[in-house]
Amino acid sequence: MNRYHQSEQQIFNESQIIEEAKTDPGRFGILYEKYYRQIFVFVFRRTGDEDIAGDIVSDAFLKAMVALRKFEFKGLPFSAWLFRIALNEVNMYYRKSSRERVISLDQTNIKDMIAETGEKETEENRQLVMRLLSSLSPEEMQMMELRFFEKRPFAEVGEILGITENNAKVRTYRIIDKLKKILDKTSNQ
Amino acid sequence: MSGYKFNIDPRPPKEEKIAEHRDFGKVMHNYKRMTNPLYLTPLYRYRKVFLSLLLVLVVAWLVSEYGDEHEQAIQHHKADSTRIADSLAKTMDRDK
Repeated sequence: MNRYHQSEQQIFNESQIIEEAKTDPGRFGILYEKYYRQIFVFVFRRTGDEDIAGDIVSDAFLKAMVALRKFEFKGLPFSAWLFRIALNEVNMYYRKSSRERVISLDQTNIKDMIAETGEKETEENRQLVMRLLSSLSPEEMQMMELRFFEKRPFAEVGEILGITENNAKVRTYRIIDKLKKILDKTSNQ
Repeated sequence: MSGYKFNIDPRPPKEEKIAEHRDFGKVMHNYKRMTNPLYLTPLYRYRKVFLSLLLVLVVAWLVSEYGDEHEQAIQHHKADSTRIADSLAKTMDRDK
């Protein structure tokens, strides 16, 4: 099974467009059109505002264009690199503003997290999960967003966060363990 | 306070809003502005720098133009004062 959302052929074809775009920036338009919506939705989920997301996405694509010469194809999808730049821009936005970080998640995400710990889905457990999420650091939260709320493969999570696939797995399970311990403790009381 | 605002089951972004912000031409324009070397970019592109430079040049011209006139006026005034003082001295000598 492929570790990414794209086939190896698609990733290879894309690498050729990237090489062309390094000498002819106009070719970057193909990648822009292809990924614009994905990056916009990614940023929108983290800001909750279309206009803020639009500005952040424009900055992210501009930075990607400027840094494209440094991009080296290592068999990973280009989108992961774009998501990483977009995430850095989102982090920069929150560093500059005093706004609360927006975390988008579905009811099913909470269910999945409870299921991962092997506990029953009760209102109390749901509340506990929310409380645990509130106590996570921004780095841990980003891990949860990418892995549990957006269902990305570990390899992609690692690439976006700039860590190895194994490290991404370890960190994710550490958070799940933390949650499991809290849920166990409350169910035993 | 956690510092997080949870959006449970959020609405997706509006397609027309996405289309409104999608503009590769603008990104390309900003890219060219960012990457073109300064010496190749016409100065009028940088409005603030251009206006500041223009202001400095106008002030320099005004100083050179009217500064000279002022200097001449002072010299003229000094010459007049000397002439008056001399004539006064002569008159006083004559009165004696």
